[in-house]
Amino acid sequence: MYYQLINFGDEEFYAFSNKSLYWKRLNTLIVSDLHIGKSISYAKNKQFLPPYDTKEILNELFFSLDKIKPSNLIIVGDLLHDIFSTLSLKDQDHKNLSQYMENTDFIWIKGNHDKNIQIEGFKNFTNYEIDKFLFTHIPIETPLFQICGHYHPKVKIVHRGKTIFKTSFVHNEKIFILPSFGILTGGLDINSKEISNVLGKKNLSIYPVGQDKVYKL
Amino acid sequence: MNINKSNPLLLHPLNKWMKKKKWSWFPHQIETFHHVRTGSDVVVFAPTGAGKTLTGFINPIDDLIKLKKFKGLHTLYISPLKSLANDIVRNLEKPIKELDLNISFQVRTGDTTPYKKQKQKQKPPNILITTPESLALLNSYENAKEFFHNLKYIIIDEIHTFLDNKRADLLSLNIERLQTFSPHLQRIGLSATLKNKQDAKKWLCRKKPKIISYENSVLPKIKILESKERIPWSGHMATYSINEIYKEIMKSKLTIIFVNTRAQAEYMFKNLWLINKKKLKIAVHHGSLEKNLRLKVENNLSKGLVDCVVATSSLELGLDYGDVEKIIQVGAPKGINRLLQRVGRSNHNLNTPSKAILVPTNRFEFIEAKAAIEEIKKNNLDEIDLKEGSFDVVAQHIFATACAGQFDINDLYKEIIKAYPYKKLKLNDFKQLINLIQDGGYVLKNYDQFKRIFQLRENKNIYKLVNRRETRKYRMNVGTIIENPMLKIKLGTKTLGNIEEVFIQNLSQGDSFIFAGQVLEFQSMKNNLVQVKRSKSLISKIPSYSGGRMPLSTNLANSVRALLSKSNMWDLYPDQITEWLKRQKNISTIPKKDEYLVEQFPRKKNFYTVIYAFAGWHANQTLGFLLLRGFKEFDYKPLGFVANDYAIVLWSLKEVKEIKTILNIGLLDKHLDNYLEETSIVKRLFRDNAIISCLIERRLPGMEKTGKQVLFSSDLIYTVLKKNEPDHILLQSSYEDAKKNMIDYDRLREILKKIDKKIILKKLTSISPLAVPIILEINRENLSKKETDEYILEDLENEILKEANVLSIN
Repeated sequence: MYYQLINFGDEEFYAFSNKSLYWKRLNTLIVSDLHIGKSISYAKNKQFLPPYDTKEILNELFFSLDKIKPSNLIIVGDLLHDIFSTLSLKDQDHKNLSQYMENTDFIWIKGNHDKNIQIEGFKNFTNYEIDKFLFTHIPIETPLFQICGHYHPKVKIVHRGKTIFKTSFVHNEKIFILPSFGILTGGLDINSKEISNVLGKKNLSIYPVGQDKVYKL
Repeated sequence: MNINKSNPLLLHPLNKWMKKKKWSWFPHQIETFHHVRTGSDVVVFAPTGAGKTLTGFINPIDDLIKLKKFKGLHTLYISPLKSLANDIVRNLEKPIKELDLNISFQVRTGDTTPYKKQKQKQKPPNILITTPESLALLNSYENAKEFFHNLKYIIIDEIHTFLDNKRADLLSLNIERLQTFSPHLQRIGLSATLKNKQDAKKWLCRKKPKIISYENSVLPKIKILESKERIPWSGHMATYSINEIYKEIMKSKLTIIFVNTRAQAEYMFKNLWLINKKKLKIAVHHGSLEKNLRLKVENNLSKGLVDCVVATSSLELGLDYGDVEKIIQVGAPKGINRLLQRVGRSNHNLNTPSKAILVPTNRFEFIEAKAAIEEIKKNNLDEIDLKEGSFDVVAQHIFATACAGQFDINDLYKEIIKAYPYKKLKLNDFKQLINLIQDGGYVLKNYDQFKRIFQLRENKNIYKLVNRRETRKYRMNVGTIIENPMLKIKLGTKTLGNIEEVFIQNLSQGDSFIFAGQVLEFQSMKNNLVQVKRSKSLISKIPSYSGGRMPLSTNLANSVRALLSKSNMWDLYPDQITEWLKRQKNISTIPKKDEYLVEQFPRKKNFYTVIYAFAGWHANQTLGFLLLRGFKEFDYKPLGFVANDYAIVLWSLKEVKEIKTILNIGLLDKHLDNYLEETSIVKRLFRDNAIISCLIERRLPGMEKTGKQVLFSSDLIYTVLKKNEPDHILLQSSYEDAKKNMIDYDRLREILKKIDKKIILKKLTSISPLAVPIILEINRENLSKKETDEYILEDLENEILKEANVLSIN
């Protein structure tokens, strides 16, 4: 697995092209906005997206857990898309999750999509503090460095007359936003008002996610 | 049969009106009256100006008068365009009002107010003039059967535009539905003249099918612009001839200049204005312009208030503009039918010839223009290629059927396979389409509790809509025309029209571009509105519009090949063309009409292979891609290719030695799947399929979805589906669409089947004259989207930052 080294808050993080972030010093893997079961939630409105998102997201997550064997897994919000989403978790999925929990501490920070939902065996938090870092779904007022999700950032790149959009990791001096780990989730332009309000427009470090590596702008 | 002796139309209610106008009946009108009266379904082929509209209404009016005060809907008239529907009403109004006939008629299109639509449903007129989409909607109402059960005639106008696309598929299904509602329904098709008349007949007619044909003996007068300037080697903008075109406009009272793309229209318009010393009134008309702007131009055109209109195919169909004196076609004619349709826009009087001037924009187009003129003299038209119907349209139709009430799937299947495009629809595919509407039709059954339609427990063949709310979703998604993601352009508060999002993304604030004939400066983009202001900039971009690029027709391609090989004709051409061809003959060769010339030569550090396949742009593009793969396989290290309507050029690091081994039918079977995989063609078509089959919505109620988001999510769906369920019916459907439309599979197959025996291979020391035009077109890289994205990222990274800490673990 290729990684991109990111310095944030005087710590080294490793960004992977599967949109997970690794904090090596504390052997902690961080993911965000999985939106498990988005398909089933759309199905209730008769929009029948392929029902394979849950399976694929979990496979990718399990792949990372197998590879890295982290002590902690921090999910910075929106693990599930909504209350219907739990329907897409099969018995086998629950069994697998419990198995991984034996060696890895799962820390589920609640997002706006899943704040009222429980899954057996998962520990819930509104936010989570480690050293000078605060893990939270949406950034709050705090002197700490924050690692968050929620916005699904993507960057617009215009180069040699061509324009592309790429899912990205992005941070300023104090706030780090992870891309969405989901597969049917869209993205929001880093230049949009919503993200600018949080990060500002200047001194952003942007890391677009490519086919099998993470780039740096 | 001799029906001339006693003309039954002399007793027709309209005869009095005809006499008053001092008009006489056309033979095809007499014939139509006779055959329809004796129970035939007919297709009438006649040129513009031969009373086609009236022909369709002869029997309905006669019948309605005989029936006396008939209540309810009697005749349905289907028009391909909303604007044409309004025109039909005006034409019908005259005789009915003047003769004070007791017949009611109304128009119903997307522009009709909800109030009026409601009224029509309660109290239908005798004659309803509508479009295929509005008909589909009518059929989706719960009272559709009641509404249509007395329908006697359906008239399909301009049926030649309805034969080979998804709109035709939709219409064919809805005609069969009407036939079920009203078994005594008779069908009348009206068409421009067509080569394969039998196909049109098979498509439409069921009862005692009859073809009625009226050919115009007056041929149009078409010539090529005699230019003192040099015709350029390559390019499509006709800048060289702009002054001569201007002179031609001055000579005529009213001219329409047809071009092939919207970009050309803007460009031509701008260039004409730059030299408009006489202050002629010149306007521009194309499909992206705001409706009101277009209507204004159309109005001015019909009133003769302009001197010239530059237009794309947007003006090909539609109102009769009686005063148009001359047509100028700039750029390749592409096909005979298309050229005739365009030329026919001038002078609607049957006895005087239409006048047209062709302006080739490069040397190959000169030959093409010449060939087109020859074929028109011989009346050798293009065949319209009838294709098997698309799956996604059936899915939409199933949804519509469910909206109208519960249905039996066996009855529905039997009805669908009566429609000509769906004769071969397999029961199994049909059932998969039922599943698609039910819950997406996935192998993994996750959505049992969320179904859109469900089987009745007491009868598994009967399906029913879960919830009436779904009808609203159907109604918002009806139709088969899917636009690219477009943004509205606003100048102040005025909307100028729509522009492709992709184009705007590449603009920065302050950049100027040409739209609706004005130079505009890009200011900002907010909420899908592009705000612009007027600009005086001399350097400006021209928006390009993807899609809509028509390939050269097979018929015309053959004619171009034949003409090229006739060296005795060359001396009649302008000197530069003659010289070009003579030099080609000396340096290389001119292929005979059934031969395929392949030239190979070194140039700079690369090795070039040019194949003159004359397969049209789509098929040539496909062939280029396949050859690229073939060359890779033989380790010739190919670097890229470019294709146009006539030829393909590939360049490679190594000499291509085994061209005959590679260039044959095996190429297609070996690499086609890879090709479809690598390009975004199927992915793009999947979006259309997903929208047409109502798997995803065009827009969600109460939620403004931009086109970009729809595109984005359909890409995600495609990727997930392809990975998990590669045999899903919508993937099959997208794949078939690609074969039918985008890559010209059948045409390429025909050529490749026979090509290896007909290759003339010329090894040259340098570029040949014939190869110059295509070599000049080499300017783009041919990487797949995926590769392009990675390339951009990588390049950007290398360029800007050397300090990238990209390392590898494991």
